[in-house]
Amino acid sequence: MARYFKIAISILLFTAGLTGCKKDAPVDDDGLLITSRQECFVSNLELLGSDFVTVRSKAAVIDTTAQTVNVEVLFGTDLKNIYPQFSLATDCKLDPKIIGKVDFSDLAKPKIYTVVSGNRKIRKPYTIFITVQR
Amino acid sequence: MQLKQSKYISLLAGLLLFTIACKKEDYAIPGANSALSNDCIKRTLGPNIIGQNIEFAYAMAIPPEKGKLVSAQVEASIAGARGTFLEHNSYFTKPNGQDTGVVVGQPSTTDGTKTTVTFNRDTSAATLRYYYFIPEEARGKPVSFTFTAKSSDGATVTYKMGPYMVSKMDMVRNLTVKNNDTSYISIADMMIYTRANVAANAARIDLIYLYRSTPATFLHALVSPAADAQYLPNVTLPAGVNRSTKIRKVFNLQDYNLARLQFGIYVDDLDFQKLNLADAPNFAINMKGEAGAWIETADGRYRAYIYINSANENGSAVISMKRYDMQTK
Repeated sequence: MARYFKIAISILLFTAGLTGCKKDAPVDDDGLLITSRQECFVSNLELLGSDFVTVRSKAAVIDTTAQTVNVEVLFGTDLKNIYPQFSLATDCKLDPKIIGKVDFSDLAKPKIYTVVSGNRKIRKPYTIFITVQR
Repeated sequence: MQLKQSKYISLLAGLLLFTIACKKEDYAIPGANSALSNDCIKRTLGPNIIGQNIEFAYAMAIPPEKGKLVSAQVEASIAGARGTFLEHNSYFTKPNGQDTGVVVGQPSTTDGTKTTVTFNRDTSAATLRYYYFIPEEARGKPVSFTFTAKSSDGATVTYKMGPYMVSKMDMVRNLTVKNNDTSYISIADMMIYTRANVAANAARIDLIYLYRSTPATFLHALVSPAADAQYLPNVTLPAGVNRSTKIRKVFNLQDYNLARLQFGIYVDDLDFQKLNLADAPNFAINMKGEAGAWIETADGRYRAYIYINSANENGSAVISMKRYDMQTK
């Protein structure tokens, strides 16, 4: 009887050993999954006005080498109240985070957003240059 | 042996419980009420605005063998404005959805807060519509209603509705603005002034309606007189027209009261109270039909929502406005 009991306990412990300690997937400070991806770039930038309608006059020009985004906005755009929407490479995140409207009115001081790769090891700052349509 | 017996008993009891516990009850059609009874619904939605009406449908019935309806009465806590009435038609809905009225009594009479219809037909069941036109006295106050029906057997039933808060805001609809002419907008007066009469009201002008076909992104615009000159192209302002009004464009806010379209969206007092236009510009160009704009006057007294009912290529537009006086207690 004791022998059967020992065998049962051994099987149970063996199974627990196999399944019990699964290593959690790594996450960053924001609770986002850290992956092995190294891609790190901006693929698109949309700018919405206070009415949530685009204020771009044409598509944003993104230079991934110079790490710049050039975008022209419509004449009369309220640059103090812009909602930017970045499209990034897979698993990337943006620093600083965009949590609402952004003041882009100081055109002499273009804003800089840093793209962080999926593996969180590569950081590329992108400068956003805005011009107003004439 | 005793243990075995108790096990069987427990099993049997459990089985019995399982069998009888969840019996599905069959639906039974409720029996007709044996006495005079009534019911009421409020048919209008959204804020209760001065000058508009609140509509109710009041239903009352008595078994024919008990008697017939004699009268229906509504008492409002604040007397309704001119036009308040209780319909003397009872409505039923045809299969095609059309509401059809049948005359059941004399036209209603209103005495102060009470509006009454006296039945003059043998009627044992009726649904009457009540239209309460909101008076100025009710601004910012709660208003409630007591519906009463009487039958020939001496019975009386009542049904209370409300209280409903009456909005503090004002509303004006379908103001036509035209480029270079009828284009001076006063939020304080809720009026449009023409070039001819603007001089006398210069200090009350908050916005100017403009239409410019070039640049292509200008088109229909609401610009405050103090805006940068590039937003007032070829505009010579009359003396004294110099206010800087804050304005923020809005899209997809087709307020039902202003637009009267299919959208069930309402701008209410709370929206104006919470509105923050601290960093808003003093111009809005390239406005579209069915779009709108939040407004705050230079002195901060008035906040408004201007809705563009239609924007026409000939340089005119039809606008409607809800306005909230921040000083109203």
